Amino acid sequence: MDSSGSEPAHEFFEAWLNTYEATLGRLVEMPAIGPSREKYDKMMTGFSNFANFYIGWMDLNSDFQKVFMESMKKMHEKIETEMQGEISPDKYKQLYNIWIDTYSSTFKEFMSSGHFSSEMGKFMSYFLEFQKYNREMLEENYLKQMNLPTKTDIDEINKELFALRKKTKELASQIDKLSGKGHSTL
Amino acid sequence: MNGLCIMQNDINKFVKGTEIFLDHPDFSVGTTPSEVVYREDRMRLLHYIPAVQKPYPVPVLVTYALVNRYYILDLQPDKSVIKKLLELGFDVYIIDWGYPAGMDRYLTLDDYVNGYMNNSVDKIREISGMDKITLLGVCQGGTFSVMYASLHPEKVKNLVTLVTPVNFETDKCLLNIWAKNMDVDKIVDYYGMVPGDFLNSGFLLLDPVKLMIAKYVGMFDQLDCNSNDGNSSLHNKEVLENFLRMEKWIFDSPDQAGETFRQYIKDCYQKNLLIKNEMVIGGKRINLKNITMPLLNVLAEYDHLVHNDASKPLIDAVSSTDKEMMVFPTGHIGIFVGGKSQREVCPRIAEWLKPRSYTNGDNGANEKKSKRKRNNRKSKQSVT
Repeated sequence: MDSSGSEPAHEFFEAWLNTYEATLGRLVEMPAIGPSREKYDKMMTGFSNFANFYIGWMDLNSDFQKVFMESMKKMHEKIETEMQGEISPDKYKQLYNIWIDTYSSTFKEFMSSGHFSSEMGKFMSYFLEFQKYNREMLEENYLKQMNLPTKTDIDEINKELFALRKKTKELASQIDKLSGKGHSTL
Repeated sequence: MNGLCIMQNDINKFVKGTEIFLDHPDFSVGTTPSEVVYREDRMRLLHYIPAVQKPYPVPVLVTYALVNRYYILDLQPDKSVIKKLLELGFDVYIIDWGYPAGMDRYLTLDDYVNGYMNNSVDKIREISGMDKITLLGVCQGGTFSVMYASLHPEKVKNLVTLVTPVNFETDKCLLNIWAKNMDVDKIVDYYGMVPGDFLNSGFLLLDPVKLMIAKYVGMFDQLDCNSNDGNSSLHNKEVLENFLRMEKWIFDSPDQAGETFRQYIKDCYQKNLLIKNEMVIGGKRINLKNITMPLLNVLAEYDHLVHNDASKPLIDAVSSTDKEMMVFPTGHIGIFVGGKSQREVCPRIAEWLKPRSYTNGDNGANEKKSKRKRNNRKSKQSVT
């Protein structure tokens, strides 16, 4: 195992993930029974949502670590070739330019790969599921209990208002047509 | 100059820059005088006060991307596309999409193109007395203009598209690659209004090191600390003010109406329906062959947001016989901001537009006739 890279952290995470999936992961996905099964089931989805989100985040993190390491390696090589291995105050601007160019090109190369695109897509998806779950739990367990309006309620009102606004515009436009006017400024 | 002197000079630049920031520099944007001639929900139609006594009769309507603000073309007084077009004799209008919020999440592409845009065009036709207008679309605004010109060709005299994507099946641009793996349903269902900051994070990821570090270092690096004369102070102030204007424009990003975002990403970026003439909005299919009016397609050679492969196919997709493509050696933003835009892009667009900015077969005389005709038609309708 190369102790200077990000491999040990990645391997540790893989081991943790395998253990989680074989133990606690199976337990939380087990169907619930009894009078509170619905509530329990919903709560348990939170575990898998969080686990997915964490896995997505760790995968992306590990990818970024690799890119950092790769950039650092390239930078080291460039310092050897372009600056003859000498870093002095006179050359600090040159060093800065090499640093920016090397990191920028390595990151851009990584970002344009299909791998990053698919990992980022997965991460976003897990993140949104997790956030959605949190919002549902907040609405279900707190806001509704305290008789406070939720985002879902507001969305429904907005939908109604939008439909009304559209209808009003249609009617105004028909009135304008019938009266031979141009369109009205609402 | 030895290393320590270089370092000292750079520290001085940083101190100088901070001093200017502490003086609260004025970096107002969108300063060209205009009046609001039409409002609908959060959208406004602005009419710029003409700079010449007798502008070209066919008015120009500018549209831009939903993620930006309308002052994109009027960022700084001395380098404003809008001001330049006014000085070159055009009668210019622009749509300000505003900041959508709340119920606007349900706005669709149909609402934008057949609603806001169409109503704005009708208003301009009413004010100017012209039957047709020139559409000048920038980036996503260009895509909207293409959609509009295909659905309402009878109202469009000329179509000018700047750095406009129409073919989304390209792997030369990161946005196109990323959009393929984006679960847009989850994004819209969760956010409703897709946050502008969320999209900005995506834009920053295009080149994170340069956009989050080098850009700011470069800003201080441009300052002149070697002399203390008035010219140097003026230069430094200008550098920072212009930088702040760009910064404001980049991060002043309205949220996106969820349903519009959903359809745009799915139909354009993921299925590439527009160029295949298969895209449908408001129950009507967009057939690019319906575009028969003169077309000018303007591209930036080094565009990192809309690759040339995404813009070029428009020329062959339309039926227009009078069509031209211009490629300028600049980037996406350089087309409408900066010196090159003022010196080369605007004058070339104006040269192309001038002879086409009269009513058919006329260079001015028909203008009044057209206005009279419209007024007569209106009075007939009123009688009916």
